[in-house]
Amino acid sequence: MTVLSQTVPRRPRVSPTVLLGLGLATIIVLASLLAPMLAPFDPLRMAAGPRLAAPSLAHLFGTDEFGRDLFSRVLAGGRLSLGIGISAVVSGLLVGGVVGLAAAFGGRLTEAVLLRVIDVLYSFPDTLIALALVAFLGPGIENATLAIAISLVPFYARVTYGLAAAERSKPYIEAARLAGIRSGRLVRVHVMPNIGQSLVVMATLGFSSAILSAAGLSFLGLGVQPPSPEWGAILASGRNYITKAPWILIFPGLAICLTVLSFNLIGDSLRDLADPRRKARS
Amino acid sequence: MLLLILKRVLTAFATVLAVIVLSGILIHLVPGDPVTAMMAQSVTATPEVMAAMRARLGLDLPVWQQVALYTGHVLQGDLGMTIRGNEPVARLLLQRLPNTFALAVSGLGVALALGIPLGFLAAIKRGRLADTIVMVIAVLGVSVPAFWLGLILIQLFALKLGWLPVAGSGWRNILLPALTLGLTYCALVARMTRSALIEVLSEDYIRTARARGLKEHRVLLVHALRPALISIVTVVGLVFAYLLGGQVIIENVFSWNGIGRLAVQAMLERDYPMIQGFIVVFATSVVVVSMLIDILYGFLDPRMRQR
Amino acid sequence: MTSSIKSRLALMAAATAIGLAAGFSAVTAADLTVARSVDADSLDAQKASTTQSLQITNLIFDTMLTMDKSGSVQPGLASEWSMSPDGKTYRFTIRDGLKCHDGSSFDAAAAKASLDRALSPETNNPNLSAWGPITGSKVDGKALTVSLSEPYGPFASFLTSIQAAFLCPSSFASAEFKPIGTGPFKFVSWTRNDSIQLAANPDYKNANPLIENPGKPHIDKLTFKVIPEAVARMAALRSGEADLVEPSLEEATDLKNDSNFKVYAAELSGQQMLAAFTWKIKPLDNPEIRKAIGMAMNRDAYASIAFEGLVNTANCPVAPNLFSTDEALCASWGVKYDPEGAKAIMEKAGYTKDKPLKVKLLVHKLPGWDQMHQIMQQDLAAINVEAEIETREVAAFFDYMKGVNEKTDGEPAVWTMGMSGVDPDYLTFLWKRPGFVNMGLNAEVDTMLDEQRKLSGEPRAAKIHEIEKYLMENAYAVPLLSPGWGWLMASNAKVEGFKMGFMVSLLFNDVTVSK
Repeated sequence: MTVLSQTVPRRPRVSPTVLLGLGLATIIVLASLLAPMLAPFDPLRMAAGPRLAAPSLAHLFGTDEFGRDLFSRVLAGGRLSLGIGISAVVSGLLVGGVVGLAAAFGGRLTEAVLLRVIDVLYSFPDTLIALALVAFLGPGIENATLAIAISLVPFYARVTYGLAAAERSKPYIEAARLAGIRSGRLVRVHVMPNIGQSLVVMATLGFSSAILSAAGLSFLGLGVQPPSPEWGAILASGRNYITKAPWILIFPGLAICLTVLSFNLIGDSLRDLADPRRKARS
Repeated sequence: MLLLILKRVLTAFATVLAVIVLSGILIHLVPGDPVTAMMAQSVTATPEVMAAMRARLGLDLPVWQQVALYTGHVLQGDLGMTIRGNEPVARLLLQRLPNTFALAVSGLGVALALGIPLGFLAAIKRGRLADTIVMVIAVLGVSVPAFWLGLILIQLFALKLGWLPVAGSGWRNILLPALTLGLTYCALVARMTRSALIEVLSEDYIRTARARGLKEHRVLLVHALRPALISIVTVVGLVFAYLLGGQVIIENVFSWNGIGRLAVQAMLERDYPMIQGFIVVFATSVVVVSMLIDILYGFLDPRMRQR
Repeated sequence: MTSSIKSRLALMAAATAIGLAAGFSAVTAADLTVARSVDADSLDAQKASTTQSLQITNLIFDTMLTMDKSGSVQPGLASEWSMSPDGKTYRFTIRDGLKCHDGSSFDAAAAKASLDRALSPETNNPNLSAWGPITGSKVDGKALTVSLSEPYGPFASFLTSIQAAFLCPSSFASAEFKPIGTGPFKFVSWTRNDSIQLAANPDYKNANPLIENPGKPHIDKLTFKVIPEAVARMAALRSGEADLVEPSLEEATDLKNDSNFKVYAAELSGQQMLAAFTWKIKPLDNPEIRKAIGMAMNRDAYASIAFEGLVNTANCPVAPNLFSTDEALCASWGVKYDPEGAKAIMEKAGYTKDKPLKVKLLVHKLPGWDQMHQIMQQDLAAINVEAEIETREVAAFFDYMKGVNEKTDGEPAVWTMGMSGVDPDYLTFLWKRPGFVNMGLNAEVDTMLDEQRKLSGEPRAAKIHEIEKYLMENAYAVPLLSPGWGWLMASNAKVEGFKMGFMVSLLFNDVTVSK
């Protein structure tokens, strides 16, 4: 478990991989935001072109089995995937953060109990937690987002706890405690501003895993349902055309890869920056 | 050492217990009365069967007592009956468990066989082109959705070239899914090998060995690799858990007959006792494997042995 | 090497050469592996209702009578049978020397035991109503006499169908059901959602006119694997892992043109796909709304796009080629594809683009169907009906629909289903109250359905037309396509003699696999 002890230094050296990650992420986010303007067709419109047409100028990524324009669908899918990722990360971070802080500042018993529970959950793959939850909640975009958010809670709780515990041992906290400041206020006024930055860094790492989970759930038919152009859902309904029309599989798959890749590149570098000790080692 | 083993076993047991309780609680996430929800899916739902199910689950009791009841059943090895087919959940899962392990172990084998040499290469060529290439491959590896890679391998090796079969449980059938898992998770192994080796290389005794004029390949292979491998053992458990998690989807892509395919089938059919059973069995596998690896590490690492 | 072996080898080589020259190769007993997308739900033929289950039970069990290609009834377990002049008593003479798979003999007493179980309320037989108004049966020497309370025209043809299997009493002698029958294959093992193993029955004597082989099947072992992924199924076929598979619809056309493979399409499927409604729930209680939804459905697109042109649109609530089915007549009763007209009806009823009618589209997973439902969803959107698709596995779906069809309030639903049979009497099975998954309609329909059972020939056909007209003019049912599931199979070129019978039953008795 990485224990983060420092905040981001003021003058980070920017590596080419971060630039690559940032560049890719910017393109993907912009493309998704502008999808309605960029997309030449309604992503749900059938017979926008001939069925199973190979990529061409009219249909950059080709068309699917219903003659829907794949380029438009992949763009619209970006909005869905990023939307799920962001909602899941924000809510997972909020809940995980509260749990982590409670463990760090809630007294010895709370700390012991919460930490144990967090560690148990953290030892299971997050995709699997999401899968188990969706099995009981039922399929659909809201349930999938909720399940992915919950699956990220152990990770964020562990990270927040690590940061807060390091902060806790600093002299100024001790001084504040002696001055009679309550834990709640202490966390709000002193701890949060100091660890907030590092938490944002960690958020990007959860993001790529959220995107992969969402695609996996939809691929299994447990997440976003057709005809929604979520990337995993496109792959699920197009998989039988793998021989006849491989482009139905290639483009949404690449979209997932590049998105996850870009956020992994950013996240990794930021993590190194946020943890100079680690940087020194690697 | 004995104390260490005892401690690990107790922790493992507590963890499994916690998971059983959690999966007992999960059923209460289903909107409405669980028996009605379950039985809405069953053609054999006579009033008697439903009454028996209610009694078994203790539905008139408060929630915590129901969970306690469920936990009691599970601890006695009784995971209940499936809604579809009315067969014992435990038997169905145990039947498939060897298949799941066979695939997981093969996948792990591929991941280690590819990941350790790559990580080794990156560590000794640290900061140079080879390192960058390996690290880029590593990031790519964790970024590719395994099920997508699987579909592409099926297209290439099974449909186009006709070399390897999929769907089934023979040794030739295992190759493609194991390769898919191995390729996906070798990235993780490569990264861990690299940082473990870099750490070892900065230790004083390595410098001493070099200073003594030992041949570089001897330094690397004998003095550095062995201790590095020991610290890799600790993360194998983690890789194994993640690999098992990723395998749930892979089993479905390849129609591999393990517990992952059984579980997803149950999820689509909303066969709740089966899903609960899967969670318990899966979690137990993960916990037991990481416990064994912890203990193995205890034997391998001299510092731990003395404690 | 001794000379005798040498000469034998030479002979074999010569035989092979001759075989090849004649276009045949040496045929040996062999094992056959079949891959399907969905597993059986139960192997108890009196409790199973899905096609995937009945395809298996039909190999283990025999039927009292059989049907030839022209639709006329032939002997089966019964070597001869007769009907009393008033149509209320049937007498079946059970063939001599019939052996069950466990060695016990199958006689009139065994047949009676099986019949009693099929009719017992405790069995929960989903096909109970199709057995007709049976009041009792008795054993009379080698014969089984069955009494009915009134004439039941479709009785003989029902007894040829895969839903009317006769079990050996040892099957249900103990609490746990064991599939023991008289059929061409013996049950060996079943691992749910994985595989079913069957072995040839060495004592088999065939009576089915669709089959040529008079005795034991040529293949020894028959394995049914479940491979849900179409891509994996195709890979299994191409790699030789499976000999016969349900092909992916997307590739069936390509396989047809490939000389390494054979594609089989059932001609006698008796299958019909329908869209139906939760007509007890507002506003679907209004026939005008139901009609509008039917008018929005572009069946041509379902056939050509979702099913790759491998099926046809069908106009009647019963399958084409069955007794009395008249496609042209049905077309004149049913709704016609008219999205503009449908939209006008919906708008008049107050459903606009901004205030659409929200419905569930309750469906089950099957190849082609998934795509059809997506097109259907778009069709409905065009007439201001916002349909949310909810997909279930086949067996779970029908269990779920049972509850849905009982409800009189809540969210309205449009749903789809497929039905197959050998006689239009399956209308009774579906629509007579309570009906299949509680889809029964009303007293008027019940009466008409009862009446057609007592008639035969032209008068019966007229009555069935009356029922079909009622169902379609009130838009309780929107006929879609035929066939629709499991009707296509593909094998490698080494498989010879595979046939598909009524209701897409699979016939393996004549199958040989050349080396």
